[in-house]
Amino acid sequence: MARLMDVNGLTVRFYTPEGTVYAVNDVTYTLDEGESLAIVGESGSGKSVHALAIMGLIPSPPGKVTDGTVMFDGRDLVQLREDEMRLVRGSEIAMIFQDPMTSLNPVLKISTQLTEAIKLHLGMTEAQARNRAVELLQMVGIPAAADRLDDYPHQFSGGMRQRVMIAMALSCNPRLLIADEPTTALDVTIQAQIVELIKRLRAELGMALIWITHDLGVAAGIADHINVMYAGQIVERGPIMQVFKDPRSAYTLGLLSSLPRLDLKDQRLVQIEGQPPDMRDEPTFDPFAPRNPYVTERCWQEIPPLENVAKGHPEHFARAWYDLPSLRNAQ
Amino acid sequence: MAETMVEEAAPAPERAQENGREVILSVRGLKKHFPIMSGFILQRRVGEVRAVDGLDFDVFKGETLGLVGESGCGKSTTGRTILQLYRPTEGNVVFEGEDLTQIKGERMRAIRRRMQIIFQDPFASLNPRMTVGNIIAEPLRIHNIMSRREQKDYVGDLMEKVGLNPYFVNRYPHEFSGGQRQRIGIARSLALEPSFIVADEPISALDVSIQAQVVNLLEDLQNQLNLTYLFIAHDLSMVRHICDRVAVMYLGKIVELGNTDDVYDNPQHPYTQSLLSAVPVPDPEVELQRQRIILGGDVPNPATPPIGCNFNTRCPVRFGLCHEEPDPILEEIRPGHFVACHRTN
Ligand SMILES: Nc1ncnc2c1ncn2[C@@H]1O[C@H](COP(=O)(O)OP(=O)(O)OP(=O)(O)O)[C@@H](O)[C@H]1O
Ligand SMILES: Nc1ncnc2c1ncn2[C@@H]1O[C@H](COP(=O)(O)OP(=O)(O)OP(=O)(O)O)[C@@H](O)[C@H]1O
Ligand SMILES: [Mg+2]
Ligand SMILES: [Mg+2]
Repeated sequence: MARLMDVNGLTVRFYTPEGTVYAVNDVTYTLDEGESLAIVGESGSGKSVHALAIMGLIPSPPGKVTDGTVMFDGRDLVQLREDEMRLVRGSEIAMIFQDPMTSLNPVLKISTQLTEAIKLHLGMTEAQARNRAVELLQMVGIPAAADRLDDYPHQFSGGMRQRVMIAMALSCNPRLLIADEPTTALDVTIQAQIVELIKRLRAELGMALIWITHDLGVAAGIADHINVMYAGQIVERGPIMQVFKDPRSAYTLGLLSSLPRLDLKDQRLVQIEGQPPDMRDEPTFDPFAPRNPYVTERCWQEIPPLENVAKGHPEHFARAWYDLPSLRNAQ
Repeated sequence: MAETMVEEAAPAPERAQENGREVILSVRGLKKHFPIMSGFILQRRVGEVRAVDGLDFDVFKGETLGLVGESGCGKSTTGRTILQLYRPTEGNVVFEGEDLTQIKGERMRAIRRRMQIIFQDPFASLNPRMTVGNIIAEPLRIHNIMSRREQKDYVGDLMEKVGLNPYFVNRYPHEFSGGQRQRIGIARSLALEPSFIVADEPISALDVSIQAQVVNLLEDLQNQLNLTYLFIAHDLSMVRHICDRVAVMYLGKIVELGNTDDVYDNPQHPYTQSLLSAVPVPDPEVELQRQRIILGGDVPNPATPPIGCNFNTRCPVRFGLCHEEPDPILEEIRPGHFVACHRTN
C-alpha cells in the first residue's frame, strides 16, 4: 500500500518552571494509506503530545518540537506555517479528542458547528452544507438526524456527542483520522457501538486511522498495527498479531501478562513492579530498566535503538538490549 | 406498581440455598431515591432519581461480591447506602446481625468501624495538608483508640502491610504516585480492623501497569485478614478475576446475580449477555472472531424509567410481555443464580 505518513525522530519538550519535560523522544514510524494503527502506553507516556505535534497543536510556550520530521504527502508538517497547517487540519487530517465537550462549543447549535467546517473546506453553500451535515449525522447513527441538527451539545448524551464529534471529523473526508481515547469516558456498551462505527466508516471511506488508547483489548479489536509507548519512546511496534504473540520489549510483555482476561479464568495477576517514570528525567538509558525483570547491564547505560527484531517479522521493531524470547526460554 | 412487586418478592433466597456459609451482610428491599428540586427561591420537589430501586442480596463472609453495570446505574449509591453514608429511602441493611437502619449514636459508631470504604480517586480522597502518617492514623484518633506511641508503631505496620516504606511516614500525598496513594487509602481503611470493605472502583484511576499491583494487594489482605469485599467496578475482566460472585445492575436494580463463573460462562439476562459481549479481549486473534451484541440507544434516565421491563427499550430479544408487564423480579433459576427477565422467569 502507498505510504501516507512518515514520522522520523519526532521529539517534543515542555519547558516548565519545574524543569524540562521530555514528553516525546525520538519517535519514528510509518503509516500507510488506509492503515489502522493503535498507540498504547500508560498515562504520561507521550501518546497525546505526539498526536498534537503531528497536528501542529503543541502549545508554545511551554512546548516545542525540538527535533524530527512528519512527512505527509510530500510536505514536512513540522515546518508548515500556521495558515498552511490549518488547511491540513480538518481536510486531510482530523482529530477526535477524549472529551467531546472540549471540542464542541456549548453555545452553538450542532448545525452551525458542522456546516462551518464543510463550507470552509469543501466550498459548499449553506443549503448544501446542511444536507451534507444531515447525511453525516445519519452515517454516524444519530436517529432522526434532520430533527437533531439544530440541537445544542448538552442535549445529546455522552455517546451521541462522541458520534457528533466523529461526524465533524469526517465532514471533509480526511485521509487520516486520529482518535485520542475517544471511548475512554464511555460505558462499554457505548464503546462497542463507537468502535463498530469507526470500523465500518474506515472500511467505507478507506481512510487511515490512528487510535490512541490504554486499553489493549480495544487495540486488539480495531488495529492492524500497534505502537507501544513508554516514557515518550516507541518501545515496540509492528503488526498487532506479531506484537501480541511474540512481544520483544519487556514492557509489552509485562503489560500483556498483567491483564486479566474475560475469556479465561486466571490465577494471581502478574504484576509489573515499581512506578512509572518521571518524565522530567532526561532519558540517557533504557527508561524501563528499573522495572525490568530481564534487565541487562547495557540497559542502564544506553538508550536502545528501535531495531528490527531478530528472527521475526520484517515489520516488527523493538527497543531492547536483550533478546526477550531466549531470556524467557531460559527461565 | 413495579415497586410493590419487588417488595413482596423479597425472601432471603440465598441463605436457604448456600447453607453453611455465614451471611455477613443482608440487604432487603433497599431503595435510595434522590429528590429533584426546581424553582429559584422556593425549591419544590418536582420528581426523584431512583438511583437504587429495590435491591435484595446477601454477602457471605470472606467473599468478594462484584457490583457491575454502566455509569449511573446506582453502584456507588448502593455502596454508600449500605454504609449508611446515605439514609435509605426504604429497606433494611443487616450487618453482622444488626439492622443498621434501626440504630443510631454510639451503637452505630461502633458498627461503622467494622465497615470501611476505599474510593476511586486516590488524588481527591486524601487530605493534601496531612502527612501520610496522620492520614492513616486519623480513624484511630477519631475513635480515640491507642496512645500516640502505639499509633506510631501501628501506622508503621499498616504501611508495611500495604507495601509502603514506613520511612515515608512524614511525607505528603502529592509526593506519591497514583498507585502509592491508593495504598495509603487502603492502609487508612484497614486501621480500624474492619471486616467488610466497599471498594468503589479502587483501580479505575490507576495506570494499567499499576492495577495488578493493587489488585494483588487487595487479594493478599483479604486472605490474611479474612476480609469481605463489595467490589464496585466497570472493568468486567478484572471483576471476573477478583470476584467470587457478581451482581449486574441496570437502572437501580439487580438484573442478574450468581457465581462469577456461572454468570460469565452462561449469562442469562440479555443485558448481561450484551455487556459481556461488548468487553474487548486483549488478543487480536480472539477479537477477529468475536460476535458482538451491539445494544442500540442509551441508558434511560433513572428519573423516568421506561414502562414495563426497565431494559425493554434496549433489549435485543424483547417480546410483548416486556412492555406490558411490570419490571420482572429477581428469581432463582438455578441454585445460586438469579435473573430478572420475563423470558427466563
Ligand atoms: N502543556 C504541557 N505542559 C507541560 N507538560 C506537558 C504538557 N502537556 C503534556 N505534558 C507532559 O508531557 C508528557 C506526555 O503527556 P501526554 O499527554 O502525551 O501523555 P499520554 O500518553 O497522552 O497520557 P494519558 O494516557 O494520560 O492521556 C506528560 O509527562 C505530561 O505531563
Ligand atoms: N447525591 C445525589 N443527588 C442526586 N442524584 C444523585 C446523587 N448521587 C447519585 N445520583 C444519581 O443517581 C444515579 C446513580 O448514581 P451512582 O453514582 O450511584 O451511579 P454509579 O453506578 O456509581 O455510576 P458510575 O459508574 O458513573 O460511578 C445517577 O443518575 C446519579 O446522577
Ligand atoms: Mg493522552
Ligand atoms: Mg460510581
